[in-house]
Amino acid sequence: MLEVTIIYGFINSIILALIALGFSLTFGISGVSNFAYGAMYIMAGYAVWIMINLIGLPFPVAAILAVIFTALFGLALYRLVLLRVRGMVISEVIATFGVGLAILELFRYLGFTGFEYTLPVFTDGSLMIGDTYIDHQRLWIVGIGISLALGLYLFTRYTKTGLAFRGIAQDEQTALSLGINSDRVAGLSVAFGSGLAAIAAILILPRGTISVNEGYDVLINAMAVCIIGGLGSTVGVIVASFMIGYAQMITDAFSGPHWKMIVSLVAILIILLVKPSGLFGKQKELEERI
Amino acid sequence: MLQISNLMVFYENALALNDFSMKVEKGQIVAVIGSNSAGKTTLMNTVSGLIIDTKIKEQRKGGERITLYGKIVFDGKDITELHPSERVKEGLVLCRERHPIFPESDLVENLRIAGYLRKRSEVSSTIEYVFDLFPTLLRLKTRKAGFLSGGEQQMLTIGMALMVKPKLLLLDEPLLGLSPIMQKTLVDAILKIRKEAGLTIVVTEQFARPILPVIDHGYVVENGMLSLDGPGLELMENPEVKAAYFGV
Repeated sequence: MLEVTIIYGFINSIILALIALGFSLTFGISGVSNFAYGAMYIMAGYAVWIMINLIGLPFPVAAILAVIFTALFGLALYRLVLLRVRGMVISEVIATFGVGLAILELFRYLGFTGFEYTLPVFTDGSLMIGDTYIDHQRLWIVGIGISLALGLYLFTRYTKTGLAFRGIAQDEQTALSLGINSDRVAGLSVAFGSGLAAIAAILILPRGTISVNEGYDVLINAMAVCIIGGLGSTVGVIVASFMIGYAQMITDAFSGPHWKMIVSLVAILIILLVKPSGLFGKQKELEERI
Repeated sequence: MLQISNLMVFYENALALNDFSMKVEKGQIVAVIGSNSAGKTTLMNTVSGLIIDTKIKEQRKGGERITLYGKIVFDGKDITELHPSERVKEGLVLCRERHPIFPESDLVENLRIAGYLRKRSEVSSTIEYVFDLFPTLLRLKTRKAGFLSGGEQQMLTIGMALMVKPKLLLLDEPLLGLSPIMQKTLVDAILKIRKEAGLTIVVTEQFARPILPVIDHGYVVENGMLSLDGPGLELMENPEVKAAYFGV
């Protein structure tokens, strides 16, 4: 019992981190809170499904195309919508939430509901760790999740674009006076965040069916992790994912699954009362944000 | 190298620069002297193009509060409407006032971010040049830039601008709030940069004493208008300049 909680808590935490990483990255760099994030996640899932089942592409090709497509969609969202309201936080939230709502409800309207909308797993099969069964897909999630987080860390510190990300996250005007085109980099950050949402979707969605409602859940989970960890902090995202991930599993194990959803909501309430900027929030001076 | 003609800048109805013209020849150090709100920073932001960026951002949101007239020619090219990031590519780099740095990155990372436009090999050789110029920075390599002192941050700011390999360096009040010793270090560094890297430098200052002796030409700005100009030594002897900008 304890073993199951520990192992599945770990997997659950990585899933939460995967979901929140893109949302947090975009906010950390360009200050844009992308509330269409959950919709992009679901859109990527349906895109893969459509490419496999209606167009007949093989899964790996469909997956890669979906990531690229979602990233381009993010870029378009920035250039066509966000550019005009940049810096006005409420307008950004309303605009992106509106776009997200439109996407999700469009899928519902087009009849994308039902049990046939599923994505294939990467590899079939399962593994025993001690007395606990783990299917391969969950191992993929853990492996890719950890390498993505590490890759992002290295990317933001050792590549030109990554360093430019860190620059405009800290001081846009200074970055601009050094020749870093802040509009282009901010657009890239939204595209990156959207691409990460697509990767998360392709990894996580095979565990169940793709449903429109999950788009809202993903947004809530991403926000919960980011609020608790502190918006824009990658360290915060990881710490908060593990806190919520294990709290959910422990609640699930000891008081039943129907209490699980409440955990993240209660955690949000507590953190807003005790430390509104989150555990690693940027309000804390000189804080690592990316 | 830089020719500014009849520049006028309005912030809504307020006139920040009024019919301002100046000229900078290659290899010169030119100073713009003026008190608070004389228009020095507006001039720097207009020449570097940051004001264009602000203007574009306001236009997108549906407002238009900044108006520009006049012409700026750099290296024989009209750059009046050019985006700031394009101007940097042309070799025109501004160090904004109050030593803006990236506070959460360490010192070396600040320099590496500043080397965005340069090749990897150029970045490491220029970092070495910056440490040559400011040996003090060497032992602070891994310190977060936000924890550096004002003087150290100013050195870093200049170092970051050098990473871009500019042709013309604009320094907006580099000596602001620094001790006389630190001011001398920076003035020496400015002279050294011109000599070694062959840079042209425009520097703005409120307090003229430390900078006037080393400049080729100076412009005195009052209320956005040019009140007088001349070679540095000539300005030093001018009683009005002495009274207003020498603190005597």
